[in-house]
Amino acid sequence: MTLFLRRTFPLILTFLFGVAGALQYYIPHPVSEAALTEVSVWLRIILGFAMILGIASLCHVHYAKIRIRSAGWGYSLVVYLSMLATVAVGVWSRGQEEGTGFGWIYTYTLLALQGTMFAMLGFFVASAAFRAFRARSKEAAVLLTAAILMMFGRVPLGEYLAPVAGPIAGWLLNVLNTAARRGILIGISLGGIATSIKIIFGIERSYLGGRD
Amino acid sequence: MRELAGKLLRMDRRVIFILIALATLIPLLRPIGFPIRISPEVKRVYDYIESLPPGSVFLLSLDFDPASKPELYPMAVALLNHAFKRDLRVIGMTLWVTGTGMAEKVVSGIANEYGKRRGVDYTFLGYSPGGTNVIINMGQDLAAAFPTDHYGERTADLPVMRGVTSLRQVNYVVSLAAGTPGVESWYVYGKEKYGFELGGGVTAVIAPGLYPFLDTGQINGLIGGLRGAAEYETLVGLKGKAVAGMDAQSATHFVIIGLIVLCNLFYFLTPRIGLRTLPGTRSGSSESR
Repeated sequence: MTLFLRRTFPLILTFLFGVAGALQYYIPHPVSEAALTEVSVWLRIILGFAMILGIASLCHVHYAKIRIRSAGWGYSLVVYLSMLATVAVGVWSRGQEEGTGFGWIYTYTLLALQGTMFAMLGFFVASAAFRAFRARSKEAAVLLTAAILMMFGRVPLGEYLAPVAGPIAGWLLNVLNTAARRGILIGISLGGIATSIKIIFGIERSYLGGRD
Repeated sequence: MRELAGKLLRMDRRVIFILIALATLIPLLRPIGFPIRISPEVKRVYDYIESLPPGSVFLLSLDFDPASKPELYPMAVALLNHAFKRDLRVIGMTLWVTGTGMAEKVVSGIANEYGKRRGVDYTFLGYSPGGTNVIINMGQDLAAAFPTDHYGERTADLPVMRGVTSLRQVNYVVSLAAGTPGVESWYVYGKEKYGFELGGGVTAVIAPGLYPFLDTGQINGLIGGLRGAAEYETLVGLKGKAVAGMDAQSATHFVIIGLIVLCNLFYFLTPRIGLRTLPGTRSGSSESR
């Protein structure tokens, strides 16, 4: 019975929901549509529980770091304190942002910190580009040329100095980039279909855990 | 020559930081205003909104967090200005919980500028957990996905939602996205099944990845990065933050191009003068920091 519940039953459920989910797309009958509506609500409820699982996992990882005083445990403490403070203020503010402490935390910490992190990227990208973009080989030279053409052609000053730069950058994006991206997308999609079929038919079972 | 090449190849990264800071600051303080060329992919989003009759339903999904604000917020401002100018019924929402406050602010802020009434001319649905499943849920039953809007009003009772029970009744959806869930999710789980027209606005980093969807018509237009936002601002006649930022972007691009060209120039000169293995260069011991 334990084995049935732990392995066979999840495999049956996966098969049934996998096949039904795939077939549903091609059956626009009201019963099929009603089933999809119901399932989509359930999926969102289950994802809500996944969020709880994620928070529990986050707390566990950082608690372990603080307990054994591993390198950087102070950052884990900051995670704990800031999370608890935000939750406490959020509950106090009843989740409302307008004119509350929760809104203040959002505007003056989250917004400012995330904006700062993103802005700093520009400096690091510039430094990395200076050090990494060297024509050491033919491939590197092609990459370098494409990068310079893109940087030149995607800004108004570049197009002002050389009006042909914009269309060249556009051609690089629309033709060369699209061709490569499409190839990658087709590969990823075929891989996704193959993995889905393996999961539905019980060939791929790693999601059940590693004990069996 | 040898000394100059050595100094350049070993340049302290703080010098680069200062150059980038100056290239950003000076044009922001003293803008020049180079003309901005409109690309066809941005024009297609604009043209589609222009073609919608007043009262059409326009759903703007602000799927980004504050980290991507500099690029995507100006797009939201420009698109909302256009939609309200055209008297469309605007529905705002987000699939990113950390973007909720910011998204609400921009939707209600621009609506107020046009004297639009909340619940009648526009609404902000807010955030609903579930990621891409929210899109499926909205496609099946919009009121089930968002029983109330961000302000606690029953979605089904709102005049702005009259006749809109699912995504099938939405005329145009634009997702302003900084990742997943975003434009691809709206296509795969939304447009493909529920048949609305879809446009995208994304950060410059992810824009190249969406060009295959553009060419096949899976999305009808694409606004990419600050440049795309500046193009849209130009189209709607708005002098916003994106247009203001284009001079700074031009300057920083040219600083980076200059550094790369100079660096490579000296890199090719070094074999003759034996500088390729200078300490602190990438070919040498360790990368200088």
